[in-house]
Amino acid sequence: MTALRIGKGVQILLLAALYVFLYGPIIYITYVSFQANSVWPFPPEFTAKHYISLWNEENYHSGFVNSLAIGIGTGVIASVLATMAAVAILKYRVRRSVYIAGLFLMPLFIAHILIGVSSLMFNKMLLGLPGNIFSAILANATYATAFAFLVVVAQLARYDWRLDEAAMVFGATPGTTFREVTFPLIWPAILGAFIVSFLLAFNNLEISFYNLGATPTLPTLAWGSLRHGVSEELYALAALINVAVFIFLGVMYVLLRTGVVRLDYKD
Amino acid sequence: MTDTVLKLDNISKNFGPIKAADDINIEVGQTEFFALLGPSGSGKTTMLRMIAGLEKPDTGTISISGRDVTNEPPYRRGIGMVFQDFLLFPHKTVAENIMFPLKMQGASEKDKRENLQWVSNLVHLEGLEERYPHQLSGGQKQRVALARGLVSRPSLLLLDEPLANLDRELRKEMEVEIRRFQIELAIPFVYVTHNQEEAMTMSDRMAIMRDGKMEQVGEKFSLYHDPASQFVASFLGSPNAFEGVVSSVEEGIAQINWFGHSIRARAHDGLQPGDRAVCYVKSEKISMLESGGALTGVLRDIIFKGQYADYLVSLGDGHEITVSGAPMTGLKKGAPMHLDWDPGKADAFRAQGGAQ
Ligand SMILES: Nc1ncnc2c1ncn2[C@@H]1O[C@H](COP(=O)(O)OP(=O)(O)OP(=O)(O)O)[C@@H](O)[C@H]1O
Ligand SMILES: [Mg+2]
Repeated sequence: MTALRIGKGVQILLLAALYVFLYGPIIYITYVSFQANSVWPFPPEFTAKHYISLWNEENYHSGFVNSLAIGIGTGVIASVLATMAAVAILKYRVRRSVYIAGLFLMPLFIAHILIGVSSLMFNKMLLGLPGNIFSAILANATYATAFAFLVVVAQLARYDWRLDEAAMVFGATPGTTFREVTFPLIWPAILGAFIVSFLLAFNNLEISFYNLGATPTLPTLAWGSLRHGVSEELYALAALINVAVFIFLGVMYVLLRTGVVRLDYKD
Repeated sequence: MTDTVLKLDNISKNFGPIKAADDINIEVGQTEFFALLGPSGSGKTTMLRMIAGLEKPDTGTISISGRDVTNEPPYRRGIGMVFQDFLLFPHKTVAENIMFPLKMQGASEKDKRENLQWVSNLVHLEGLEERYPHQLSGGQKQRVALARGLVSRPSLLLLDEPLANLDRELRKEMEVEIRRFQIELAIPFVYVTHNQEEAMTMSDRMAIMRDGKMEQVGEKFSLYHDPASQFVASFLGSPNAFEGVVSSVEEGIAQINWFGHSIRARAHDGLQPGDRAVCYVKSEKISMLESGGALTGVLRDIIFKGQYADYLVSLGDGHEITVSGAPMTGLKKGAPMHLDWDPGKADAFRAQGGAQ
């Protein structure tokens, strides 16, 4: 079999094109967020006025706090439930695990808007619970748990559960076994599940919208402001979120490089 | 046995249709090295897992040091174990791995350090304490696994083919070492292996397992020299097998007609004249005579093994017999051979349908 041969120059070009494709929009948004004219920002005319108006808009403050709360609340619930489900299926090999796994994945196939509407109806009409941030967290957790479960199961499928057995033989109770052996080895999977479900809930529009009503989140605010044309604070907002993500990745990178944190112990 | 540490009574375990343990009874004493020997799938690992509490027997009781632990979880049995794939904790250093059982017992920092020191000296691990398992060689991992099994001075140590992943050189060395640890600690070792040399080298007593059943339990010498079943006779050593019809049984010695030759061996299974029987003679129990003998043939080949040699003797009618003995320089291929053995050292059993 002959390998597909391409020249060094072509490789570099392809790589560059890929990065432009991935990062072009992000860089452009960051650039525009500093421009006075956001519709056609050439030639450049730098300004911080979008950031100032973002800062002055009280709605965005409470929206950010609410989104953060929904993201963290959903992330915690989803990653804990998903981990418990994955451990039950993979470690304890509960009966009919295929069907149980299927049930966990079911919410993936339901449109978000339906989850939003139906959980609103269920919570409000049947249970008499008012729509608030907690019902938004619970509603988001339904499908976020499904995603988190996928992430955790994929990672834990490679885990050697005999290590847990070894710990038990050497005197560790099931709780201690989880603390001493399982968790230190699988936490990257749980963190991954948390990040995925956090981001899903943080960015979710439909489910949060139906469960929150007038309470603002970043996505509902952005969506609301879109109806009057792209408002310029959104560029600043998008740029700030990207910066936050880059800082997070940077910190993770440094921790991994310096060996403070290890993801994989296999040699 | 007065100093019994481990006692299994009527232990049975099924996995669906598979009988992994079938009415097992064993006792292991305080200072005993007990080997469980058997072919793959005979239920050796299942037995150890039941003793450790990782698997629950369907019926029967297990007691350790006089205490019934049948329904106790693994972490309340106070035993040590060395696993086949070592199963060291990859995120813990060698020292943390070894001290893990002590940590679980809530031992003091001083206690942990002292025991770590003692066991690292015992198994020669000095200087490796701060390494992680992935930075160790196979032999070193093996030593860490042993150290972790021994560090809390358990009442019993279980070992599941601990040397299977090591090369021959290292295995020979570790066989001697493990036996030394057992004598030094004076606790019983239950050692699983499918390597009979290993079992012979190390153990005091052994049990031969097959399809979840104990075929025979006893001193290693008596198992080797006085097999009680056809399986044990064929499994241990490298025996020659002769199958034929019993012509007479006198004073416990059966005379078997094997392709016109008369073969003599101890009769088992209540053999009667007219029965089909299979007779096993270990290759080193056959002697080469100047003349006469039960069987005659010519020397086809000599396989030199160092300390001894295998002589392959052709009987003319196409059959071949292996005789082991001291390497001799005088014998040449094609030389006439006269073979015989003491009938008290050969064993005949009732032939099972389709046996060799
Ligand atoms: N969890 C299980 N589920 C179903 N069958 C099992 C299970 N564990 C063991 N068995 C079966 O029980 C029998 C005994 O297995 P076991 O592992 O005890 O054999 P072994 O003597 O240790 O073999 P080896 O020398 O290959 O390690 C085998 O037929 C095996 O397939
Ligand atoms: Mg086994």
